[in-house]
Amino acid sequence: MKAWLALLLPGDWLVVLAGIAVVAASVPIFWQGGMADRAIIRQEGKVFAEVDLRSRKQFEVAGPLGNTLIAVEPGRARVVSDPGPRQYCVRQGWLMRPGEIAICAPNRVSVQIAGRTKVYDSISY
Amino acid sequence: MRYFLSLPILLVLFVLAGCGRTPLQEQQAYVFGTRVEVLIVSAEPEQGRQAIAAVLREFDRLHRAYHAWQASELTELNAAIAAGKPRTVTPELAAFVGEAQALSRQGDYLFDPGIGELIKLWGFQADEFKAELPPPGEIKAWLAKKPSIADIVIDGNSIRSRNRHVALDFGGYLKGVALDRAAAILRSQGINNALINIGGNVMALGSKEGKKWRVGIQHPRQPGPMATVSLEDGEAIGTSGDYQRFFEVNGKRYPHLLDPRSGYPADHTQAVTVLIPAGSKAGTLSDASSKPIFIAGAAGWRDMAAQMGIAQVLRVDSNDRIFVTAALHRRLEFIGQPPAIEIVP
Repeated sequence: MKAWLALLLPGDWLVVLAGIAVVAASVPIFWQGGMADRAIIRQEGKVFAEVDLRSRKQFEVAGPLGNTLIAVEPGRARVVSDPGPRQYCVRQGWLMRPGEIAICAPNRVSVQIAGRTKVYDSISY
Repeated sequence: MRYFLSLPILLVLFVLAGCGRTPLQEQQAYVFGTRVEVLIVSAEPEQGRQAIAAVLREFDRLHRAYHAWQASELTELNAAIAAGKPRTVTPELAAFVGEAQALSRQGDYLFDPGIGELIKLWGFQADEFKAELPPPGEIKAWLAKKPSIADIVIDGNSIRSRNRHVALDFGGYLKGVALDRAAAILRSQGINNALINIGGNVMALGSKEGKKWRVGIQHPRQPGPMATVSLEDGEAIGTSGDYQRFFEVNGKRYPHLLDPRSGYPADHTQAVTVLIPAGSKAGTLSDASSKPIFIAGAAGWRDMAAQMGIAQVLRVDSNDRIFVTAALHRRLEFIGQPPAIEIVP
């Protein structure tokens, strides 16, 4: 037995185990394609705004049918309202992870979450 | 001494240059009533811009020429069919009708581009649509007339139909064709590394500076993807989902994927994804081949996939159960916890 092992008390082992448990438990929470750090809002396919996901802001984006309202909050973004007939982008709710996107096709507006690293380049939907 | 110092500085600069961003150009636009995304890797920005513009021009042309409910070459052909007259069309349109007919036949006409009247009856041929079921009597009347793309007779560039109630609608086919066109245009302009996404049908060319293009497969009921897959050069992937176009009446979902045998939307499936190996028709198949597999349902999807020659399939049924063929399963990568999946040989 190595001498230093004798210096560890039962409480120290508990701390080590607790540390391992916390790290293991956090893997599925944080290993979701890196941290989200901004929301990219596009109008007619062109970047309308790149918003830091630490901020809290609302954006009105004009499209052929009217205005799409987008809300950005710390760590998440969503389409609040849209003049499109089917409302799919509104119903998608909050987007949180890098790559997630809500597309309001009729009004030609989209909002996508981006992170420092890109987990995937595009999405088949 | 000066030279001595500048050497490490130069080295650092070289290393930093290696960290430089991929010369990636991205453009998004709205065509075919959906979002189009083109990503290309090109050392020359001007060459890239021109190539993307050429691709988007071709998409726009296809969309206008073959629009199913706004005046187009296709609506003119449909009017001639309704009047019981033959019509001479462009070689391109004649080829499309022939190819769509062959694909439909291969899938036992479960995906039938001749059912435009039924699609219209359900209100899916409209930019605005109301959540309203068609009267059952009208669906019955449509079924009694049995219109199908099988009724179309092609003689050179002349097209006629044995059934006046056939109305061609290339939704579910044309976006796939457009992917193959885009690939051809980009390659002819010297762009060999690109990713093209038309409303969820994605085609990969080459790679992103040696790294394979990675594409997510959308979860039908969650905001993000359920898995991702890396595409080889020339491969295409496409998804048909009940979440793309649908309406709800009394809490029941009526998606746009209509079963021509019943006249009603297929309600047993949430999504079908197909991955197509490289080939000149990879894009076309990524769009058209997922439909008969979707409509075939729980008992028939696996056989239908085999019949269509599609080995890599993922299906999510109406109870959120995920089935994947072994050939596709080995390629899936998961973000976080993998979902429960049943692997089908």
